Amino acid sequence: MSPLSKVIMLSDERERIEDVLDTLIEKSGSLCAILITKDGHTISARGTTSFLNITALATLVAGSFAATRQVAALIGEKEFSILFQQGASRHVHISLVAGTAMLIAVFEDSQRIGLVRLHAKRAADGLAALMSVSRERTDREELIVAQFKEFASSLIDRIFSE
Amino acid sequence: MSTINFATREINFKIVYYGPGMSGKTTNLVYMYSRLTDDRKGQLITLDTEQERTLFFDFFPLELGEIQGFKTRFHLYTVPGQVYYEASRRIVLSGADGVVFVADSQASRRPDNVESLRGMLENMASYGLQPGPVPVVLQYNKRDMDGILTVEDLDADLRADSWPRFASVATQGAGVLDTVRTVMKEVLSRFE
Ligand SMILES: Nc1nc2c(ncn2[C@@H]2O[C@H](COP(=O)(O)OP(=O)(O)OP(=O)(O)O)[C@@H](O)[C@H]2O)c(=O)[nH]1
Ligand SMILES: [Mg+2]
Repeated sequence: MSPLSKVIMLSDERERIEDVLDTLIEKSGSLCAILITKDGHTISARGTTSFLNITALATLVAGSFAATRQVAALIGEKEFSILFQQGASRHVHISLVAGTAMLIAVFEDSQRIGLVRLHAKRAADGLAALMSVSRERTDREELIVAQFKEFASSLIDRIFSE
Repeated sequence: MSTINFATREINFKIVYYGPGMSGKTTNLVYMYSRLTDDRKGQLITLDTEQERTLFFDFFPLELGEIQGFKTRFHLYTVPGQVYYEASRRIVLSGADGVVFVADSQASRRPDNVESLRGMLENMASYGLQPGPVPVVLQYNKRDMDGILTVEDLDADLRADSWPRFASVATQGAGVLDTVRTVMKEVLSRFE
């Protein structure tokens, strides 16, 4: 792996990804749906998320998914494609998208698990298609790297002298 | 690996604090967290045992601010240093843009430092991460204690010729901010 950065998604895919998440929320009756990368960065979050620290959620889900991937390897599986965590009143359904991202759905009615599973599967397929498109194109013109580095460097100095 | 998200307009970097058990990795994160103003940091997550030993990782996002319309942040992680948690350590190291190796200066911990560094390089290699392209910064911690190694001895043990290094007393904050500032800048200088 080179230290070259990875471009997650381009602006024009944003709306299409949001549409897929909105459909999942609506059809499954979930509170929210969040798409994150394997390493725990948020790509998109839709629905009711004000009660949630999304960054923390993304990091923890990515960590636990990585851990279960190792568990899978230990028992001779490549990976587990779905994780489901059942609480007293809220539940989390996590599914793998194209091996590179994870789709998280939070919902309240445990009777809906079947619906959530069905629509999460459909959403994951839709997202996989969208994400393979964005991987093929890299359009970096919006970011002027030399200036970015200079400015970021001066911000670092400022933060630690505060 | 840094990620640029043009849709949410975010740029994220990942820095991992590695080192033997009890060397002071968590203490580094907790200290810098206490020094940052609220607008510069997200929630601190610690996944630890009842004895406050790291079980999986500590994490918080350090917000640099907005640059050219991109929210820029460094995700800071620690690994669990205890030998037993090797599998978890490897997971946390994945995708690192920069690494801080926190050594314990106590003479009694000498073999543990060496073994942990060896493991770190091996784990980095397993992800194709090369020291150099991925910056490594060394920190010699616990300089306040009795029975510590000389800086020269630590240099010799830890291949310090090739990497920036700092002496520290993480419990008092000495050297903590210099270390993180240096690794952030090293990461940034390689961004392209
Ligand atoms: N005297 C002294 N004690 C320190 C220093 N830094 C850390 N400690 C102490 O060492 C102990 C271990 O520190 P941690 O930060 O939890 O160590 P760690 O590297 O995160 O340990 P693991 O999570 O097990 O890998 C704690 O009791 C700290 O207070 C230091 O510079 N000097
Ligand atoms: Mg720790």
